[in-house]
Parts: sequence; structure tokens; C-alpha cells
Amino acid sequence: MAIDTVPPLFAAQLNYLVTHSPIPMKVEQMWSGSKYHGLFDRFTLVIPFCLDYIKWDVIYNAQYPLAAPDIIFGPEDESFRPFHAAGEEGDLKSPKNSLSDWNTKDHTRLLSLILELRDLYMAYQRKRVGEVDDDRLKFEISTVISKKGIEMSMSSGAEKPEEVKFAVPLLEMDINKMVTGCTWRHQQKIFLQVIFPVGRKYSSAPTAPRLKLVASSELKALFSIEDFRLPPWLEGMCMAEYLPTLEEMLESQIADAVSLIDIRRKFIVALAPLFGRPVEADPVFCRKATFLASSGVFTFLVHFSLPLQFPKLQPVLMLQSSQHFNSHSAPIKSPLLTNFPWSPRWETSEMVERMFDFLAEECLNFKKYCNESLLQQR
Amino acid sequence: MDDLPLQKIQISGPTLASMIQRFSSSPGDVDGLLFGRVAHITPSNFSDDDPTTTTSSSTLSSDSPTLIATITSFFCFNSTTTFYDSTGQLNVVSLRRLLSSDRDRDSNSPNSLIGWFSGRRKTPLRPSMRESSVTSSLSSKIQFSFQVENSPKSYTLSPCIFLLLTTPFQDQLIHTHDFRAYQFRLSTDYFEPKTLYVVNIGPAFRGHYGAFSPNSPFPALSCELRGLHSSSMVEDSKSDGESLRGMRKISKEDQEELNACAEGFEVGRLSRLMGSEAANYTAELEELYDKMLAKLDGLARVVEKSSARVLEQENHNLKLRHKIAGLE
Repeated sequence: MAIDTVPPLFAAQLNYLVTHSPIPMKVEQMWSGSKYHGLFDRFTLVIPFCLDYIKWDVIYNAQYPLAAPDIIFGPEDESFRPFHAAGEEGDLKSPKNSLSDWNTKDHTRLLSLILELRDLYMAYQRKRVGEVDDDRLKFEISTVISKKGIEMSMSSGAEKPEEVKFAVPLLEMDINKMVTGCTWRHQQKIFLQVIFPVGRKYSSAPTAPRLKLVASSELKALFSIEDFRLPPWLEGMCMAEYLPTLEEMLESQIADAVSLIDIRRKFIVALAPLFGRPVEADPVFCRKATFLASSGVFTFLVHFSLPLQFPKLQPVLMLQSSQHFNSHSAPIKSPLLTNFPWSPRWETSEMVERMFDFLAEECLNFKKYCNESLLQQR
Repeated sequence: MDDLPLQKIQISGPTLASMIQRFSSSPGDVDGLLFGRVAHITPSNFSDDDPTTTTSSSTLSSDSPTLIATITSFFCFNSTTTFYDSTGQLNVVSLRRLLSSDRDRDSNSPNSLIGWFSGRRKTPLRPSMRESSVTSSLSSKIQFSFQVENSPKSYTLSPCIFLLLTTPFQDQLIHTHDFRAYQFRLSTDYFEPKTLYVVNIGPAFRGHYGAFSPNSPFPALSCELRGLHSSSMVEDSKSDGESLRGMRKISKEDQEELNACAEGFEVGRLSRLMGSEAANYTAELEELYDKMLAKLDGLARVVEKSSARVLEQENHNLKLRHKIAGLE
């Protein structure tokens, strides 16, 4: 029998889980529970929850591949007991859940089990947060609880003070649909993370919560949440007041970001008459385009990268020789070039012409630079 | 059913060792039942101070009795999910059948079901979802509750002990096994970690040897002992008569068992091994021992053969299970 393999039944379930999950889950580590052969039958799953991760261990048994798996939850979640309340006297059948009629051969089962447990975990955390004795928090919860997809969790440790964390999904709009031909696998969402310190009774004025925007790294191709300035949290404010302003601002900025794609596209199209058809271009977000150019017999590539704030910010150029290679046989590249004339107020055709004129000069410098670095290698 | 806190959980070294041995020699994960007793002890925190000043300790002892659980034996299954289902619901019928067969084996054993254990390799050392459900339903079943021994008041406890055995994730560590004992508290729905005291290990247990009283399931031999004793003191007809009278006291059942072992070699004849006649008897005795050894040898062979067949069958079953799982 092969050493260190995942039995096919478990592998099918895991693959299905990783590829079909609506939230990006991943398998962190695998272990074998068998004495004699290294069949991997226990895994640590990393599951996103409330803008953080929870790690659950899924324990299968390679000796009994058809038996249902067991789950070990995180060390702080000792009191989380799903599928538990019913059946006090045992003779009553407990309500059906993903485990009660387990079928290992159906590879969708693990995903549905984990999703069911995650829902229960969400309810568990919500209950814990609801039990916090803090009037301000109680009020906040009552006003935002109806918001679809909101998650909350309670964090408490021996050293750190108690905190309640909210993950508030912002904007009803579907960003994926706004970008034509978008290649994102997961639905893009922007969340506001709000962390409230749990107030001690009789403390003075409540402190402002810590606020942070969170989105997946994929969104960076369209919109940078780091550049977004959060509106200030005024004293005595609550989330229900804060969120509408924030959402309004965010909505208009995202609409702007989407409209900027078209401006970038037009720019790349305008490059074509002078530079020829691009060798490569980013068709979705129009952030990159590469052209083949020559000056005499010297042939080189021109890489254009367009910033999110284009045309307010100028593009960045880089030249890459097709004929000169360094000692590692990688093509020689120029440093990033930005020292060409630029004004966002120019017509696109003028921008392109001026860049072309600049490059006609610059390529000679680059050729010299290439030859020099070749000489240095000798 | 009272939900009383245990002060500590004890286990004898051999019991723990054989449990770990069962776990480490099993091909996969295992679980099983724990037997033993819970006894009330009178706290011995005597102090020179006036009892009225040490109010804290006196109120503590009057509030809840000091209870010590002792795990004396265990029953290990070859796999997991044996007396419960995949959701952690107890299979009361099969559990009761297991318990009754165990009781039949040694009916005079005072041990009751006090909990269960689970052994799983390369997993975190905390109760899993299913283990929590099993422990909780075992603790809530009134039909498995038992009496606390040695207690002035009558308390009952449920099988609330859970012992977890795991192996570390990294193989190169010095220790090969981890374990942790818990008492499940039904009132708070919480696993209280308890220290597992291994009896006979460490200086704290030296006192135990003084208070040791053997407790073995061997047939009672009190009468024979007395007979032997007296006959070795003075060898005359009177003592023979006494020993015979002693022999009659043995219940018929015990006698049959003994005869089967001794093959007609009466215990009384052992006394003749002393003195001048001894030489005649040693040969006879040696023959008896030879026969016994031959029997044991035969028995060992039978056991060996049947074990081999059990192993063969288990391997066959494992292969079939793997075949179903597409692992061939």
C-alpha cells in the first residue's frame, strides 16, 4: 500500500470541500492515525469566521473508512456543543443532522457538515455576545442584528481584555457583476470590522470602537481599501448611524473605480496605433499592457502598468530587452520609468504621443545600458 | 443522582500501563469503558489550630464530601464508535449487554462503570464533539449510576469520568503518549480537568504499602492454609484429623476446582514432604508439576492458534473495509 496517501474516499470529500465551498476554506495539515501504514485520515481545516480563522480538526478513521468523522473544535470553544441539546433520555431520536445518516461515498457530505457546524458556531458566538452585560453592546446588537450576513464573536483570554468583534458586510451591490468579464472565483465583499471593548460597569464615557475595512486581496486589482479614508466615529455614535454614511461613500468610490477601468481600457486601445497590437494585456482590470518595439535592430518590450488612480497618476514604464541577457540568462530590464511628461488634463492621444516621443529617446539610453552591462559581465 | 466534584482520580500503574499498551498496539483509534469505584474519605487535614478559627476548611468539608475515584480496570474495544453511534448517542442496549457480561465474569467484583476512555493518535488533547456527547449522555443516564462507598450519607454518582489518550504530533519527542483525565459536570455541562494520580508511583504512595490488603479473584483458600499451618507445626494423627475437618469445610464447588488443579494430589499430603519420607514424595510431586506444565503448554498452544486465527480474520476484515473504500 502506498505510503503517505489520503484514502480516495476522504480525498474526494476534501477536494469537494475546497473547490465548492462558498467561503474559502483550506486544509492546513494532515496526519495519520494508523499504526502500520501512513494513511492520512485526520486534517486541520482552516475556516474563515468573523474576519478571522477558526481551526477545526476533522478526524476520520482509516481503519473504518465508512464511519462518520469526528470534529475537535478550537481550544477556546470548549463550551461549543453542537448536535447536543436533544436526547436527554436517549430514547427520543435526536433531530436529523449531517452526521446522523452519514455516507462517506457521497463526497458532498463533509462540506455540508462543516457548513452546518459553522452556522451553529455562528449562533453560539451570537449567543455569547448577547450574554455580555453591557448596555451599549446590547443596543448595538439590537440595531444591527437584522443585517444580512453579519457575524460576531466574543474574544476573551486570560491576559487580554474582553472584546466583542463584529464583521459587518457592507453594500448590497454585487461587485463581481459590476466588472465585465471578471475572473474572481469568490464573491467580493467589503466588511467593516468593529471591535468594541466590553465596558466595565460605571465606567465613564464609552470609548470609540476600533474600525477597519477588510476585503480579499483580489479586490486590490479594482479598489484599494487601504486608500479609503474611514469617516470619523463621533462621540455617542452607534453603528446604525455610522454605517449608512460609510456605505454611501464606499458605494460612490467603487462606482468611480469601476468607471476608471474603462478609461484605462481606452488608453491601452489608444496605444495600439503607435506601438502596434499589445503582446499581452490585462483585459479585465486593464492594469497592465506589454508591447513589442524596436529601434533599428534593437528589439525590446515595453511594459505599461497603470495605477488605480489613472489618469490622475501617470503610468509606470519598464523596458525589457529581447537581445541582452544577464549572467543568470534573464533578460535585462530597465528601472521603473516615470520621468516623462505627463498631465492628467491632456487628451488620451496627446498622452500617448508624448510617451512615444519619450520612448524613442529613452530606448537609446536603454540600449547603451544593456551593452554596458554585457561588457561588465566579460 | 448527585453531581458531586471528585477531589482526584487515581489509577494503578499496571492498569494505566496496560491501557496505554492496548492503545499503542492497536492499528487505529480505540475506546473503552472504565471500571472502578468512588469512595468517600475523611479529610485528614488536622491542624494544631483551634477548629473554630479554621472555618474555611471545615465549611469546605461539610459542603461537599471528599470523593476519590479509583480506576481499577478497563475494557478496551478494538475500534471506536462501539457503544454509541456517530452522533454520540448511547446505544443503551449494547452497553447494558456489555456490562452484564462483565458482571457475570466476576460477580463478586464491586467495580462499577465509572466512565470511559478514548485513544486517538495525532490529535489535539481535548474532548471532541462526539466524545462530549457520549460523556454527557453517559453522565445523564440514571440507570448507570452507582453508590459512593464508605460514605456516611448515601450519595450516587453517574459514570462521569473521561480519560483521553493521544500521541504527540511530532514523532521525535521524548514522550510517546499524552493523557488527560476529566470529570464531566452535568450541572455546568463542563469537562473539569482532574489530575490523574498513578498509584504506587512516587514517594507520596509509600504509605499505601502499609495499608495494602490483597484483593484477588482467586478462590478462598483460608481452610487449606490453616490445615497446612497446623500440620507443619506438629505431625501427628490429631493434626491430620483437624486438617480433614478443615477440608470438609470447603464448599463442594471450591473443592472440585481445586481437585481439577491438583489431579488428586491432596493438599494434606504436602505435609509429607517434610522429614525422612520426603524423597518418596518428591518424585510424585515432580510428576504432578510436569503434568501441569504440559497442560499449560497445551493451553498456550491453543491460545496461540486461536489468536492467530482471530488476527487472520481481523486482517481479512480490514482488507474488505479497505476494498469498499477503494484503497486496494
